[in-house]
Amino acid sequence: MLRKQPHLKVLVTLLACGLSMAAQAATPSLSLDGFGTLGAVYSDEARADHTSSIFAARGAGYSSDWSAEVDSRLGLQLSAEVTPRLSGVVQAISEQRYDGSYQPTIEWANLKYHVTPDLSVRAGRLMLPVFMNAEYRKVGYALPWVRTPQEVYSSIPISNIDGVDISYRFRLGEVNNTLRATYGQTTGKFPYIDQNGERATGAAVAREGFTLGNNLEWQNLRLFTAYTHYRLSIEELTPFFDIYRAFGPDGEAIADRYDMNDKRFDVFSLGANYDTGNWFVMGEWTQSSSRTFVGDSRGWYITHGYRLGSITPYVTYARHSKRSPTSVAGLSQPGTEVLDATLNYFTAYQDSQTRFSLGARWDFARGMNLKAQIDHIDLDAGSNGYLTNRNPAFEPGGSVNLFSLALDFVF
Amino acid sequence: MTSRLTRLGFSLLILLSANVSLADVVLVVSAKSPVHILTRNELADIYLGRNSRFPNGQPAVPVDQRESSADYVAFYRHYLGQTPAQIKMHWSRLIFTGRGQPPRSLPSSRAVADFVAEHAQAIGYLDDAYLDERLRRVSIE
Repeated sequence: MLRKQPHLKVLVTLLACGLSMAAQAATPSLSLDGFGTLGAVYSDEARADHTSSIFAARGAGYSSDWSAEVDSRLGLQLSAEVTPRLSGVVQAISEQRYDGSYQPTIEWANLKYHVTPDLSVRAGRLMLPVFMNAEYRKVGYALPWVRTPQEVYSSIPISNIDGVDISYRFRLGEVNNTLRATYGQTTGKFPYIDQNGERATGAAVAREGFTLGNNLEWQNLRLFTAYTHYRLSIEELTPFFDIYRAFGPDGEAIADRYDMNDKRFDVFSLGANYDTGNWFVMGEWTQSSSRTFVGDSRGWYITHGYRLGSITPYVTYARHSKRSPTSVAGLSQPGTEVLDATLNYFTAYQDSQTRFSLGARWDFARGMNLKAQIDHIDLDAGSNGYLTNRNPAFEPGGSVNLFSLALDFVF
Repeated sequence: MTSRLTRLGFSLLILLSANVSLADVVLVVSAKSPVHILTRNELADIYLGRNSRFPNGQPAVPVDQRESSADYVAFYRHYLGQTPAQIKMHWSRLIFTGRGQPPRSLPSSRAVADFVAEHAQAIGYLDDAYLDERLRRVSIE
């Protein structure tokens, strides 16, 4: 989402200058890299859509049985080394957006300065390292699965932030450790159906976003830890909670407890990957909490893959659960029944699910792979899972099966 | 159908292993370099972009051969235990997060020999037929 933010424009201009300087320099280092996925996914749930994230307008299931819009995307990246210490990078991605269009957006655009070979600072639009595979979550080729496990990655669906980061790499014997702190803000636009049943666009504004992450690599082992907090506002929800506020202190207390107005979210995540070359086991765990109607949730997955020549079959087991009460009392005053019911509609929103997945990746040519994946998702009672565009006939709970095919490439 | 797939799988495996055993690849530095020996992990860290220095603290400049070459396949299989696809996946994670670019790629063992001979910080791999007095073979422990 290329937003009208002056500092980003300045940065893009600076980068463009930097890039042309590098192109003219005696030792220019300019590289153009690209990645993409051509994917198709089938869902057997015809009354709701399986989408790539809350930011996508359409998916497989309700909009169409098969959808090529969930996983397909194209990314281009221009990197330039202006001096050995200063480098810049711009990455643009075309994928389905909140409005259903594929208008390319600037995924990231930043300048990096190496204070020392092991200490660097970056400014601009940055990748957000909130989970172990978050920074390359859109690069299908870099992932063992067709897509990152939603049970963990949906906790923070955004992939970039406008701000600064500082990264420090150090070694302890044979252990390589990278500590990184990121600070910034971002706005994510998402589609929703308003009270009149019309398609509308909402904006989730995250500010004071801070992530402290540590990545440790030792022989075949990688360990990842991160703590993230940010303040989230969704203005579209304010009018509803303002009704509660009109009821005096009791109403204000309810609004303050459940609204989404500059509310602090805390997210912890842990990840581990053990890769011998012939096989790997990877798992992640995350916990998110906030004093909003979304409440607290946990998610985790574990994946095992085995490499047979160029074919890597894999199996994944994943679970996501909402951990806060889905039913709240509200004001419980005469005349507030409808209001309390609406509040409960928000708090009852449930995405708990268990998923079992089988798949295989076939590296059939240099820089290309083909993946096939079957997902069996069991929704908890009353849960919508991550399904969107739910039509009135959709009933929470039950199970959903997905079949996905993806061709990933890098160049 | 299943047996045909299995047979196809086996032929792929045999093709892969045959490819690997063909080349005899050795690791080299310049004769002027103080480096004599590296552990497998130190070598992996240098070639996978995790460390830009030799254990003695001096900068390390690794060079690759073309991804399509037998030497490339043999080097990564023998010394790092990884397939070219795994290496490509590793670098795509670094490239698309702005955290690094793969080693410079040279077109042949001869080109690697010349480059490493001229650069005291360089490390490369080549077909042992191209070893000469300008180079020193690095042992792996």
